[in-house]
Amino acid sequence: MDDLRTVSKDVDANNTKISAKNVQVYYGDTHAIKDVNVEIKERTVTAFIGPSGCGKSTFLRSINRMNDTIDICRVEGDIRIDGKDIYDRDVDPVQLRARVGMVFQKPNPFPKSIYDNIAYGPKIHGLAKTKAEMDEIVEKSLRRGAIWNEVKDRLHAPGTGLSGGQQQRLCIARAIATEPDVLLMDEPCSALDPIATSQVEELIDQLRESYTVVIVTHSMQQAARVSQKTAFFHLGNLVEYGNTDDIFTNPKDPRTESYISGRIG
Amino acid sequence: MTTLAFAILLAACMVAYALNRRAATGIRDGGQRLHSVSGYHGLFALLMILVPVLVVILLWLVLQGTVVNTLIMSSLPDGTLDGLGAGQVDLILAEIQSIASGRVFGEPEPWKVAAAERFSGMLQTASLGLVLVTALLCLGIMVFARSKVSAEFRARQGVEKIVSGLMIFCSVVAIFTTIGIVASLAFETIKFLRLVPLTEFLFGTSWEPQIPIRADQIASTGAFGWIPVIVGTIVITIVAIVIAIPIGLLSAIYLNEFAPKTVRSVCKPVLEVLAGVPTVVYGFFAILVVAPAIRTLGAQLGIPVAPNTALAAGGVMGIMLVPFISSFADDALSAVPRALRDGALALGATRAETVMNVLFPAAIPGIVGGVLLAVSRAIGETMIVVMAAGLMANLTLNPLESVTTVTVQIVTLLIGDTSFDNPKTLAAFALGMMLFIVTLIINIFALRIVRKYREAYD
Ligand SMILES: Nc1ncnc2c1ncn2[C@@H]1O[C@H](COP(=O)(O)OP(=O)(O)O)[C@@H](O)[C@H]1O
Ligand SMILES: [Mg+2]
Repeated sequence: MDDLRTVSKDVDANNTKISAKNVQVYYGDTHAIKDVNVEIKERTVTAFIGPSGCGKSTFLRSINRMNDTIDICRVEGDIRIDGKDIYDRDVDPVQLRARVGMVFQKPNPFPKSIYDNIAYGPKIHGLAKTKAEMDEIVEKSLRRGAIWNEVKDRLHAPGTGLSGGQQQRLCIARAIATEPDVLLMDEPCSALDPIATSQVEELIDQLRESYTVVIVTHSMQQAARVSQKTAFFHLGNLVEYGNTDDIFTNPKDPRTESYISGRIG
Repeated sequence: MTTLAFAILLAACMVAYALNRRAATGIRDGGQRLHSVSGYHGLFALLMILVPVLVVILLWLVLQGTVVNTLIMSSLPDGTLDGLGAGQVDLILAEIQSIASGRVFGEPEPWKVAAAERFSGMLQTASLGLVLVTALLCLGIMVFARSKVSAEFRARQGVEKIVSGLMIFCSVVAIFTTIGIVASLAFETIKFLRLVPLTEFLFGTSWEPQIPIRADQIASTGAFGWIPVIVGTIVITIVAIVIAIPIGLLSAIYLNEFAPKTVRSVCKPVLEVLAGVPTVVYGFFAILVVAPAIRTLGAQLGIPVAPNTALAAGGVMGIMLVPFISSFADDALSAVPRALRDGALALGATRAETVMNVLFPAAIPGIVGGVLLAVSRAIGETMIVVMAAGLMANLTLNPLESVTTVTVQIVTLLIGDTSFDNPKTLAAFALGMMLFIVTLIINIFALRIVRKYREAYD
């Protein structure tokens, strides 16, 4: 593990953005997330790592209540964003999801133009009053998504015609367009080639300036490269959570150690 | 006796299978490596017997009747058939056959009784012959197939060759049937076009085909312009589609996206039942329920309504097409990848927004394909319109008037007196040909679109 370019960044001073207490998630009778407690810092990239099937995606999806769209899924416990319980009765999941953006494993642009892909979120949430405002939002989001230069001449070409890496950055820009403060990413690079991956990783590092980013990854190198905090999940439990540097160089739990050294996974 | 022949064939197949299989297993147990596993040796023998012998039996059964009849008729005393027409000859043959089967009416002439006796005798000889030939063939092939068993014999390839031959035969049958139907349509259509010019048929605006076939009939003088007929078809089709599309689509969207599991589990089977209702039942639903209802409503509103309306026939046809469109739309919506749905939901779109803005546009090609197939069904639908649409070819676009359709006209043209040198009868084939061409074009379009959208997500 000595080739990891772990960068020490002091983020402990940041405020807590998301706090989860005693979270349980069930799929029918399957207990997928067991009693997870975690405090995720503002303007920080937090990586979720762990063997596949350990519940990383499930936990991530309970942060923007995407689990509500699965009939058999049930979430218990307390998840707060900025101190507000997101499972409270007066929280509208639809509005929550505009504030907590999500990027998926496989790039999933809508079969519409690049412009319409970005404009869709702002349109349904009424963020732009005029066409000029919308143009501005689209440009700003595409710039933040680090893809503006590549698509500015073909905003009305279909989004599905872009390369995989461009599509994924388009999806990140699409998520940014609704002005979220949290971005959830579920293995955003697993369908991309190495060059596209490094472009997206670079983008994630920039996003940290304005957003709280939570990224699920199966690549420990990636976790080490982009994140400041790492949480290691195993069989539905949050085994260890701490500064990325510490987790990779000095894991406390034997399960973390064996995962990092490649013995379980 | 025929049953016996089939029994022999069946037994021979099983015995040959067992024999060859045993022989092959024996070779293997003797320590040699078989090219094909023993099961294939058995199958090879089975197919070697089954296919040719079955063909022989079937051919025999088909030809036996004709051969025996010819022999009987030529063995009648000289001069009996002199000066008789084909119909009378057939009558004598039928009489002989019925005497042979024991049904004697009145006092038949002695030569007929004698012929009947010869007839029964010949039939018996024939079926005995069939059994003998079957048995001999089976035995011969069984010995031949058994002699083939050896370690190197490629039984698997043999079986595959026979099976693929059978499959080729079946597809050839299907293709030739289609070609035959189209060819006979085309042939009769050309005959029709010799009597009525193509331009009159395609562009004429008057359709009065009930011309006399016999001189003493009172009928119209005849006009064969198909425009009013096809316009009637189009009007009814439009009515049907206008009703079927919104109901079918909305029910599919509801069932696919919004309905709780319990509702879905009840509604889907109900829609399937709707798809299974025979069209004749829709037909009397149209005349007995829908048409009177439209008339009453029209009377109350003071709108003139014909007794048979395009609206009644088209409306009921629309109901018939609902399950068709809804199942296509359902498939198309389900085929939209879950990732797209999640993408929209994660942006904070509501379910309705997700359906309308993302799922529906993505599913449109599939839905359009389904709608086009529904259109071609509506155009070809016969029973409902025969019962509920009119017979008079009015050239009108008003759905409250009586119109007639291509299929209705085909049916009425072929009912009653027909004769194949008369434009009235031949017109049915011309209409059939046009119907075939129109639905073919629509189907090709529809299948293209359906195929294109299938590729879209792979
Ligand atoms: N939609 C679902 N229905 C039922 N079980 C699920 C569903 N999604 C995930 N699970 C189960 O929950 C567990 C955690 O899955 P997941 O969160 O996808 O793991 P990870 O993302 O870490 O690979 C697994 O055992 C999986 O089988
Ligand atoms: Mg996952």
